[in-house]
Parts: sequence; structure tokens; C-alpha cells
Amino acid sequence: MRVEQENWSPEMVAEFKRRQRGRNRALFAVLAGFCVLIYAVAVVKLHEYGQMW
Amino acid sequence: MSEIAFVNSTELGATAGDWLALLKPRVMSLVVFTGAIGLAIAPVHINPVLAVTAILCIATGAGASGAINMWYDRDIDALMARTAARPIPGGRIEPNAALAFGVVLAICSVLLMAVATNLVAAALLVASIAYYVFVYTIWLKRLTPQNIVIGGAAGAFPAVIGWAAAAGNITALPLLLFAIVFFWTPPHFWSLALFACKDYERAGVPMLPVAKGARYTRVSVMVYALILLPVSLSPYWLGLTGRFYAAAALLLGLIFVYYTWAVLADKQDETGRSLTGDKPARAAFKFSILYLFLLFGACAVDRLI
Repeated sequence: MRVEQENWSPEMVAEFKRRQRGRNRALFAVLAGFCVLIYAVAVVKLHEYGQMW
Repeated sequence: MSEIAFVNSTELGATAGDWLALLKPRVMSLVVFTGAIGLAIAPVHINPVLAVTAILCIATGAGASGAINMWYDRDIDALMARTAARPIPGGRIEPNAALAFGVVLAICSVLLMAVATNLVAAALLVASIAYYVFVYTIWLKRLTPQNIVIGGAAGAFPAVIGWAAAAGNITALPLLLFAIVFFWTPPHFWSLALFACKDYERAGVPMLPVAKGARYTRVSVMVYALILLPVSLSPYWLGLTGRFYAAAALLLGLIFVYYTWAVLADKQDETGRSLTGDKPARAAFKFSILYLFLLFGACAVDRLI
């Protein structure tokens, strides 16, 4: 795992944090999308087999 | 900022875009398109949510294969100008992290495909991933100049998977779409190999221009384009598509043959190396992508009219 280095300039620390934030947001979006997708597939499947409505 | 640029690729870690690049988004767009067409032309209605999920699974499976391919090929990628800036040779993503990323995505895509659609589509997705990783990447790519002829089948799977996701079976039309992509791959890839020949030579990959020479490759490109023409018309001859598709296939096929003829007739030295900066090969490569998009698009339109 990458961590901030003591010899980094403020610009480098800012860039490191920007990238970290970007990765975190992308991961959140992917996981949230995956949950929504699984939920939607489950609803459709249950509906198709007449077990929900 | 120049200091940042200097450590850009190693110390500061990967961006989200680097992880996306592992999935080979350009290849993925073609895979998504052919998979969507396979799904759309199947004679069975599928719920839109399941259709989108199936296409997403095809895209993710293809992306996972790409990530594993980049993990395995990281040594030769570092030697080629075209691929040296990729996240692994660029030092922004650890090789093992890329492998884990690819394997996890592959497993998730197959499981989700099985849950959302059917086991036939899931099994085909497994086959396409395994074929690309084990048959093409690990076995054939560094072994034979026919690597992309045999390995090219991996790229032909998505249309069949799309069809199977909707229909739950495989009939003649998806198999013909498979054959079209199979015979389209050599002229498409060898056109690229002609102008990226030095890269492949440096990396020791036995692509056709490296192993057999540029002149042999030019002939092969045109031969496969000529074979592709009747193959692309076969869905019409077998009564599976209508005249609109036939007209599009004939027109596009003839244009593709013309482009490959230009590759063959390019000004070249005695070894077949281009004296024009491989302009015809670059044009043929670009048109080959457009060709596949338009041909598959015509197939989908034909089923609607």
C-alpha cells in the first residue's frame, strides 16, 4: 500500500490525495452500481417467476 | 508541477483511469457492440434489465481478460512503444494487483451472467475468457505467426454470448456472426501489425510481418478480406437475413477488399516494407473497425425491417 512520503512537496501530497480520492469515488460508484444491479435483477427474476407480485 | 510529472507514474499511485485502462476500453466497446447486436437479433424477448446486465457481463468478462492479458504480457508491453505507457509497465499498478483485479472481475461477470440469464451464456463467457487468456495470450501469441488467426476466435464470442443470453441456445445465425468476426480478425490485426512491425520485432512477438515478412502479410490481408466477403454474405444465402443486410455486406465487403488491395499495392521496397509510412495499412485498419460496426448494425436493422 502506498503512503505519503516525508520528502514529498505539498504539490505531490495534493496530487497523491487527489488520486486517492478519485479511486475511492470510483470504487464507491462501482459497488453502489453493483448493488443496484443485483437488486434490479432479483426483482425482475422474482417477477418473471411470479413470486413477488 | 514538473516534479509531479517526474514521479507521475511510480510514486503517487494509480488513478481510477489506470484501472479502467486495464480493461482495454477500446476493445471493450467493440465487444459490447457485437454482444448487443447478438442479443438484439435473437428471436426471443428479454427483459431490458437482464439485457443490460448481460451486456455488462460480456463487457466485464472481456475487460477481465484484457487485465489478465496485460498482467501476462507486462514484459513485452514494456518493450513496445504502443504499450509501454500501460499501467503495469508504467509502474502505476502492481502486476499481482492487476491479476487479482482481472480474476475477480472474470468470476463476478460469469456468476452474474448465470444468475441474470442462463447457463449457456455463462458457459460461453467462461469459454471466451479462458480462450483469450490461455489459448491466445499464454499459448499462441508468442509461439506462432498464426496467433491471431486461431486466437481471434476469442473476439468472436460476444455475438454468440449475446444471442445465448436472450435465446438460451445457439443456432446458425450467431455461429455465422462468429465466423464473420473470426475471418475479419486477421486482416484487421495484420493491418495494424504492418505499421507496428518494429514494436513486435523488438518484443520478439512472432506476428506475421515479423515471421514471414511484410509482402507475405500484405497478400494474407487481402486473401482473408476476400474470404470474408462470401462469409459475410452467407446469412443471406441461408435465408437468415434479408436483402438490406445482403446489400450492406456486399458493399462493405467490396470496400474492405479495395482497402486491402491498396495495402497489397502500396509502394514498397524489395522486402515489402512500405515507402509511404504504411498509409494504406493504417487506412485499412481504421476501415476494418468501421466495417464491423456497420455490418453488425446492418444485421440488426435488417431484423427490424
